[in-house]
Amino acid sequence: MHIRKILRHETILAVLTVIVLIVLSFQSDRFFTVDNLLNQGRLMTEVGLIAIMMTFVIATGGIDLSVGSIVGLTAILMGVFWKNLGMPLPAAMILAIISGTLAGFGNGVIITRFSVPPLIATLATLALYRGIAEGISQARSVRGYPDWFYVLGQGEFAGVPTQLWILLVVAVVSALVLGVTRIGRTVYAIGFNEVAARFSGLPVDRTKLAIYTASGFAAALAGVIFVSRVSTTRSDMGTGLELDAITAVVLGGTSIYGGRGTIAGTFIALVLIQGLKNGLSWPALREKEPSC
Amino acid sequence: MIKILSGLHAPDSGGVIEIEGQPVSFSTTRDASRAGIATVYQELLLFPELTITENIFLGHSPRRRWGGIDWAEARSRARRLLDSLDCYALDTDTKVSTLSVAQRQRVEIAKALSHDARVLIMDEPTASLPQADVDQLMDVVKKLRAQGVAIIYVSHRMSEIFELADRVTVLRDGALIGTHAIDEVDEAKLVSMMVGRAIEQLFPKVEPNIGEVVFEAEGLNCGPLVKNVSFSLRRGEILGVAGLIGSGRTELALALFGITPATSGTIRVKGKQEVIRSPRSARDLGIAYVPEDRGLQGLVKPLPISQNISMASLDRMTTFSIIPFAEEARRALAAVKRLGVRSRGDVHQAVGELSGGNQQKVVVAKWLETQPEILILDEPTRGVDVGAKAEIHAVMGELAQKGLAIIMISSELPEVLGMSDRIMVINNGSVVETIDRADATPESVGMAMTAEQKKMDAA
Repeated sequence: MHIRKILRHETILAVLTVIVLIVLSFQSDRFFTVDNLLNQGRLMTEVGLIAIMMTFVIATGGIDLSVGSIVGLTAILMGVFWKNLGMPLPAAMILAIISGTLAGFGNGVIITRFSVPPLIATLATLALYRGIAEGISQARSVRGYPDWFYVLGQGEFAGVPTQLWILLVVAVVSALVLGVTRIGRTVYAIGFNEVAARFSGLPVDRTKLAIYTASGFAAALAGVIFVSRVSTTRSDMGTGLELDAITAVVLGGTSIYGGRGTIAGTFIALVLIQGLKNGLSWPALREKEPSC
Repeated sequence: MIKILSGLHAPDSGGVIEIEGQPVSFSTTRDASRAGIATVYQELLLFPELTITENIFLGHSPRRRWGGIDWAEARSRARRLLDSLDCYALDTDTKVSTLSVAQRQRVEIAKALSHDARVLIMDEPTASLPQADVDQLMDVVKKLRAQGVAIIYVSHRMSEIFELADRVTVLRDGALIGTHAIDEVDEAKLVSMMVGRAIEQLFPKVEPNIGEVVFEAEGLNCGPLVKNVSFSLRRGEILGVAGLIGSGRTELALALFGITPATSGTIRVKGKQEVIRSPRSARDLGIAYVPEDRGLQGLVKPLPISQNISMASLDRMTTFSIIPFAEEARRALAAVKRLGVRSRGDVHQAVGELSGGNQQKVVVAKWLETQPEILILDEPTRGVDVGAKAEIHAVMGELAQKGLAIIMISSELPEVLGMSDRIMVINNGSVVETIDRADATPESVGMAMTAEQKKMDAA
């Protein structure tokens, strides 16, 4: 019964998205070009990665507000590891992603071991992780990465932006995990009724720990891609990104109270939001810079 | 049925509702309340953060000329309504969240009456009330009847039916079985109408087939309500656990199942010493627990029957974590058939839409899927109608015969006496007595349940 309801929500959302895209393409002849669409996909990746993991978090009835700060922390750590500590860049990237993942793991530990509500716990780490990032960076930015690094954020693979491939792989794998595996079933059960899930012998704490860790990992990955896309590292990167991600998840039909939601819904919502962001800025752009 | 009368669901086809000779049809609850039908549901539907007055007049508060709410008028009318229900002590500005269940129910009734209801429907009003409050409620209902309100009183407690009713109508599986004046029927007749069988078959005790010891507990301690508990359990045995509410029965079950692991003592399963740290480890040792609070602990109500049934046995069913959906539905269907769960359609219906008895069968089915050797049932028939109760008892007997060891916790003495092979009486966290079936009488068990309490009261 409720599966049908969710499908209906997603269908409506998909139809709405198509209509919006069609309307926008009439607004500007630039909108519906392959170049523009691929470029939009590039811009969508960072929030997309975070939103996909956030779907798991919200489907358990939780929330992760610290993802934006983890993006900033990861970016700064990578820059500092590479430039100031003189590590090779690949090692710095891996170490930074591990740190971001550990930040997510920290959220999970606070939430499961000490029974702190996710909203409170991640609000605290939102401030904490951003504070650490700013403390390390001392308001200096890191630039001058080697050319190969920009492939990740500015390059292409088979004609499609590199990071879009990453997003698609993560989306498909996540959709399968949430849709057809024991882990996904546990996520829904926790979201609807955590007590009953525990009484049924489901691994409640382990699952929650895993999804907050995964959320940290996604944010860390997004952070590295972000740096590669904009060619620089600053400590305020990713500020407010958590709200963009939550918007996409909730618009995609995931219940903020937990139990309901799909990756497909989140993905369609991401496309819709990115389309609107892009399309609505075109007329304004035209007015300001007629030559552009 | 009640939901149709009160306008929450529309009837699928045909059928005419007449009020004072006028045929009416409701498509919303508002229509129904305008026609003078008010309903007090089994689950109380009040807003805990609002005051009594606000709750009573939600949606139809007395207005001042300019459309503002006339609070003084609302309060005085709320006062009068509460007084008419013998609730002189309740302040109309109290928040509902601070009230007891019985008081909340009184507010519900006041709310219903505030619509000038001529027909009041009460759905299992006493299901969640202690006995003293039940008696008070009976008085209130009688008073309302004297005031000329027609009352439809839905209950499965015989004593209330006989105390209150003028006429009684029996429904079973959605069909009308019969309507009688109350003095035409006695309890046995009524039960047999409800169950479709005679009352003697209510506790179909099959000859037990008791084998070797599968479970031993020695000196278990856990918090203030499990103190030095030792017992053993044999294959095929039903061990009844009797005790007053708050005596530590459920706490013992929670310790055995690893929700709140025992702090000291030893547990041996099939002769091997084990430590139970979590429900998972209990399950892996073959222990299953059907909890006391079905809605909160037993079921994930919005999920379908099939997913609830597979919930405890997912680890066993999946390969590389992937759920075999067809297999899941097939096993759920088999379990539903075996236990006689009555659902509207198939196993994809949400569990929350089933009746209490059928929900309980789903919980039992979930745990049978794990192929347990020790089954702990906590209040297996609370809030379950008479028919489903008999079916659950039959299933218990059958399982025990097949060699399952069962621990049954129950507040209903007849159930404990009727089903158990041995009865363990718990009082204030300790085992005070273990009585064999042959020696157990309501008096001996009742004495043991209350004995120490009396001593403590005297001291």
